[in-house]
Amino acid sequence: MKSKKRDQWIAFWMVPAFFNVFGLVFVPLSWMMPPRSPNAPEPQMISFMQSHNLLIACALLTLVYGFAPVGNSIYLIQIKRMSVSPVFRYTLMVGSITGAIVGMLFPMFCFGLGAFRSGYRPSILLMLYDFGYLAFIGSLGCFCIMWMAFALAIILDQNNVLPKWLGYYTLWQYVTELMAAPVWISKSGPFAWNGLMTFWFAMALYVPWQIIVYVCIYRSIKNQPDDELESAWLHQTSPATDVRPKATA
Amino acid sequence: MTAVATTARRSIPGAPSMWFFVIGDLIIFGCYFVAYMYYRGQDHTLFLHSQARLNLDIGAINTIVLITSSLFVALGTAAARAGTVTDAVRLFGIGLGFGAAFPLLKLFEYVPEIVGGVTPGTNLFFMFYFVMTGMHLCHVLLGLVVISFVIRNLRTAPTPNISLAETGATYWHMVDLLWLVLFALLYLMR
Repeated sequence: MKSKKRDQWIAFWMVPAFFNVFGLVFVPLSWMMPPRSPNAPEPQMISFMQSHNLLIACALLTLVYGFAPVGNSIYLIQIKRMSVSPVFRYTLMVGSITGAIVGMLFPMFCFGLGAFRSGYRPSILLMLYDFGYLAFIGSLGCFCIMWMAFALAIILDQNNVLPKWLGYYTLWQYVTELMAAPVWISKSGPFAWNGLMTFWFAMALYVPWQIIVYVCIYRSIKNQPDDELESAWLHQTSPATDVRPKATA
Repeated sequence: MTAVATTARRSIPGAPSMWFFVIGDLIIFGCYFVAYMYYRGQDHTLFLHSQARLNLDIGAINTIVLITSSLFVALGTAAARAGTVTDAVRLFGIGLGFGAAFPLLKLFEYVPEIVGGVTPGTNLFFMFYFVMTGMHLCHVLLGLVVISFVIRNLRTAPTPNISLAETGATYWHMVDLLWLVLFALLYLMR
């Protein structure tokens, strides 16, 4: 019998695929990450900003970036099962959209723009470089509120869709966004955008969280009863009555 | 009531997920402490000179305020367990009052500093100072909200949720503990 959760599984497996491309493009292809120093010597900064690989990387990411909304839908489907206000779901939805525009599209345009045409003045390249990294690492508000909404939804939920400790772990996710605030002030040391406390420590919290959250969501999808699925009406055998759910929030 | 108290005694006090949060939070702050010590060792004189510009008096008063608040919250939890709800509400109320004094005093500390030109951008010491005390202040504010929920539950619920009171108290003691370390590291250590 075919799985009634195929839609959710497609969305789910989109995520690892997407993150793998992410990792490949960010690290070995363009060396955008780990972040370069805000004080990098000018020739080094120029050769990075005008490298051909950077243009390819940015174009590639701008293309595959479309998979992010599909992947994010798995959060939204699970939050809908929770006994919490729909405000949380909408906040997460809009937060991830706005966050991704600033934190993802802006940097891609900045870095891609620098590499697009040769002959830009160094001062312009430097501005794009700053803009790119600040947008990538210092784009705080949207992600902050998005994780806060997710954390609160998990903690307040009485249906135990996701474990409570995951809610608390997600609160730290929100804290890592705050931890990155000093990148707007520091240009070197542990609080610069490539610093120990703002980038590496936040990464040390974020990477395990991202993996754990997907394991938890995997189990949550697996444990979801078939008749509780939003798409359950599709699999109804008797088409006598209109069992389609009316549009709800 | 005694039945409730004994059941609560058998397991760890409060919600287990809160203990996960508390231990994790201590680890996160612990990383900050270690980083602070490392960078302090790199530039000892700068840290020492900057430290002298902090307001030690308000720091000390805030320490006493938080410890007193923690004491009343602990007494309130004991009262809630013993079933004397009116006492518990009163004790948690006093704890909340002392706790609420902390952010106010912090304001008297931050504002003159910032007006006087001491900001996170001044040097690495003040960056650590503002980031760590700022993060701690967020914890205090959250704690005040949690304690308010505990009080509301004690006042309105027909059978008070002892576990909630314990959870709130656990969190509040953690906030207190973190401040003691912060106070020692930032204000006192020579």
